[in-house]
Amino acid sequence: MKLNFFRKKSPWILHYNAGGCNGCDIEILACLSPKYDIERFGMINTGNPKQSDILLVTGPVTKRSRERLVEIYAQMPEPKVVVSCGACACTGGVFRGMYNCEGGIDQYIPVDVYVCGCGTRPEQIIDGVIQALAILEKKSKELEQSVRLKKEPVKEGNQLNRRNIAGEIIKIA
Amino acid sequence: MNDLLIPVLLILLAPIIGGFIYGFERIIKARMQRRLGPPLLQPFFDFFKLADKRKMIVHSTHAFLGIMHFVSLWFALAILLLGGDLILVIFLHLLSTSLLILAGYSTRSIFSHLGANRTAISILCYEPVLILIAVSVFMITGSFDVASIFKYQEALLFKMPLAFIALLLVLPIKLKKSPFDVAEAHQELTGGVEIEFSGIFYEAIYTAKWIDYMFCYTLVYLFGANNPLLGIGLVFFVFFYINALDNSTARVNYKQMLRFSLLVALPIAFINLLLTILQSS
Amino acid sequence: MADIILLLYFGLMAILRKSWLVGLLTILQVAAFAYIHSTIPGEEGMQFMVDKLSVFMFLLINVISSIIAIYSIRYIDEEDCSVFRKKYFLSILFWFIAVMNLVVSSDNLEYFFLFFELTTLASFLFIGFRKDETSVKNAITALWMNQIGGLAILSAIFTISYNGFGEATFSNLLAHASAPGILLPLAFLCVAALIKGAQMPFSKWLLGAMVAPTPVSALLHSSTMVKIAPFIILRLSPALKDTPVASVIIGLTGFVFVTAAIAALSQDYFKRILAYSTISLLALMIMMGAVGTPISIMVALILIFFHGISKCMLFLNAGVLEKVFHLKHASDMDKIGDAGPFTSFIVIIGFMSLLLPPFGAFIGKWFSIETLGSFALQQKLLGAMVIVAIAGGGAILSLLYFKVLGILIARNGSRDTIKFEKINPFYSGTIYILLGLVLTSILSFPFLLANYFVPVASQTLGSIIEVRTEGWNLHIGTLSLSFVPLLIAFVLFPLTIIVAMFIQFKNVDRAKEYMCGEKIDYSFSSFYFTVDRAIPYFSVIGILFFVALIAVALL
Repeated sequence: MKLNFFRKKSPWILHYNAGGCNGCDIEILACLSPKYDIERFGMINTGNPKQSDILLVTGPVTKRSRERLVEIYAQMPEPKVVVSCGACACTGGVFRGMYNCEGGIDQYIPVDVYVCGCGTRPEQIIDGVIQALAILEKKSKELEQSVRLKKEPVKEGNQLNRRNIAGEIIKIA
Repeated sequence: MNDLLIPVLLILLAPIIGGFIYGFERIIKARMQRRLGPPLLQPFFDFFKLADKRKMIVHSTHAFLGIMHFVSLWFALAILLLGGDLILVIFLHLLSTSLLILAGYSTRSIFSHLGANRTAISILCYEPVLILIAVSVFMITGSFDVASIFKYQEALLFKMPLAFIALLLVLPIKLKKSPFDVAEAHQELTGGVEIEFSGIFYEAIYTAKWIDYMFCYTLVYLFGANNPLLGIGLVFFVFFYINALDNSTARVNYKQMLRFSLLVALPIAFINLLLTILQSS
Repeated sequence: MADIILLLYFGLMAILRKSWLVGLLTILQVAAFAYIHSTIPGEEGMQFMVDKLSVFMFLLINVISSIIAIYSIRYIDEEDCSVFRKKYFLSILFWFIAVMNLVVSSDNLEYFFLFFELTTLASFLFIGFRKDETSVKNAITALWMNQIGGLAILSAIFTISYNGFGEATFSNLLAHASAPGILLPLAFLCVAALIKGAQMPFSKWLLGAMVAPTPVSALLHSSTMVKIAPFIILRLSPALKDTPVASVIIGLTGFVFVTAAIAALSQDYFKRILAYSTISLLALMIMMGAVGTPISIMVALILIFFHGISKCMLFLNAGVLEKVFHLKHASDMDKIGDAGPFTSFIVIIGFMSLLLPPFGAFIGKWFSIETLGSFALQQKLLGAMVIVAIAGGGAILSLLYFKVLGILIARNGSRDTIKFEKINPFYSGTIYILLGLVLTSILSFPFLLANYFVPVASQTLGSIIEVRTEGWNLHIGTLSLSFVPLLIAFVLFPLTIIVAMFIQFKNVDRAKEYMCGEKIDYSFSSFYFTVDRAIPYFSVIGILFFVALIAVALL
């Protein structure tokens, strides 16, 4: 029985700040407030990657946060989508080229929807998430990995051992 | 045979009815916060979405104990609805909570462990009060069976009002709602014991919460047993009371919760017991 | 004759260890004994009474003792002492079993005193077995506390003959059950029982006794010797029922049930946690004996039987933890979930068998709440307070068990299959036998109840308790027990734990525990305990109860 339809009826969000200035974070939390109310779409802000479908990332990826970003992305069960909120998460924003930041999260994890803006507005975030839901409905349940991992998950029969797949990251220059 | 029809139907449809209660609760919570809230069928959408995720567990013991928590809670509800012994029902509920606690202790995750610690402490808070309420029922109706409450000619609410107040004080602890939701403190422990469950295994814990709602609301209904209108009225009153309390109070820490239930709820239940003993002799 | 030798040995110990308490009590006992012998006419031979209660105790004592004897063959082999001491240990163990059998079958109070003091002697020898400083000190403590109990028995004999009731035997006491002035000897015998059962304030000796080798802890101090306490109360229950003495005992044991559970929350030493939980449940058994209704006598028997088996299993397991893993403190037992899955599995079953349906100890607690309900209709305030005590104490005991289990069952998820570790077959074999006993006794519980416990209870009570089965329910007196919930609870609980140990989900990914995205492997397990400052107050309240007991009997 195809249950894909229900994926877009009850998307649960995980929100991660990869070193940003908190401007976009405040806008994401404003989405949960009564004025913009994303709970009417069935979205809950879970704090737990194991129970969420959508990863909302803000902030340019600082060197301290990149491994944790990949680790959290790896602990989410498929099907999952990533929405990068704000200019910093998309391309590095005002911090592009700095010594402590990588330029945007798509150097590390596959991104599905880019939402622009420096301090993105809640209406833009909601619009981006709704577009991500349409993509989510069509995704398969195959393993989706970070783009720069050295290790492959260990396959045991029909199941994967994903305990250490976020282990080592290939460095860029 | 007709006598058994309603309870059996209620037992078989318990997750569905519980789901509707939970959905209604989310709408009420949203409206109290001047929001729109999810649609009524949202819990069932969550159910099917969780069934569609790729399966992922930490280890099999943990996942299996979570599933058995759900099954044993359903069984406790079944015994309650079929008119069994009230103390046995309370201890079967303890059995299902202890399976959840064992599941929480069986992984080496810090949040899971802390959540299991706090769930164990909250058992200490609500269980003596429930047992005292059950003994007060025995004093009035002469038997521990739930079936005898239905045969009694007067509604229990008027015979032991203090027991109802004690139940109201202890119900937030059982249902893990503010101000007593230390066991599942979302902002502190990211869900406590539920944290390592995902996908269809999380579904078992999620559905167990719905059944817990049905269990507690059945206990409330028993206070107005003979008169169905009074019973349903009490259930609605308690429903709005629990949600209003949840939305307007902050969380207390576990020592304050212990102090509250042992110094306020337990003496009220004890005085109620004394009054019912004096009444019935 | 043997009494005199015994008392001389105690005096010798007093002089050797320089303990004035033991010396004082020995002198008092010698004086009382001499006085009794000179004033009371002697009897021709030993008088024994072997009724169904004795047979019940025989079953419990001998089955558990034989299992422990097999266990201790291997255990004492690993102990660090000379070969002679090892043989000495085993021989005293067998001698103790013999004495224990004689205790539960003697009718004459004088010989009961002799066997009582012989068990005290056995306890003293065992506790001091390891010959270090704490052991010797704790052995002396056990000796003088139990000597007070022996003195109480002698006082009971004295008051029986002083009040002119005739011979000092149990059957004689029961025959004079409603004579005025019977309360004083009964009260003294109950004091002896309460001391043997280590109720507050006399609980120190049982806790100190945990330094003894573990088979001793299992045999004497949880399964057999301390069961003399509810045994005495059960023997005396037809005479004790509805007297003020019974009310004081019920109040005291209700108090001890809660405070022993609270005190257990503050312990770190694993065997002491087990000892405190034994004291709690003994309080419940004594309370049920003192209430005296048909259901409560049956509850006492059920609790004696099932608690004996479960505690024995837990203590044997503690012995394995001590000898194989070298762990005594619960806060060190961090790695047992991974390194010793069989041990942690047995601890889960052991603790949960004292707490949850469908196990026997739970059924005891369940029926005890029900029968206290009817008791509270007569004794209103006392009944209400005791019900609060049982409800609260039960919840505190469950918190205690979960707290200890928390550190014992945490497993690392990296390896999914569980392989039980290899332990010496003496250890694992005996533990498996006990586990089998626990599980089969649940399945045959209705049969055991109807054909075994009820006749014993009937004879103890002196009246017939009617039993009939009606479809899937068993009706005993006014109580009804339905099988179907218990059978399903059996599937839900013990079978769930067993299956959970071995189940493996296929085609399901394995992921790491959530640690906020840290990539290190973080492993967590903890055990909290704080020192309890209220324990001295408990002892004071306990002493007040004892004084009240004697006072009430005098008036």
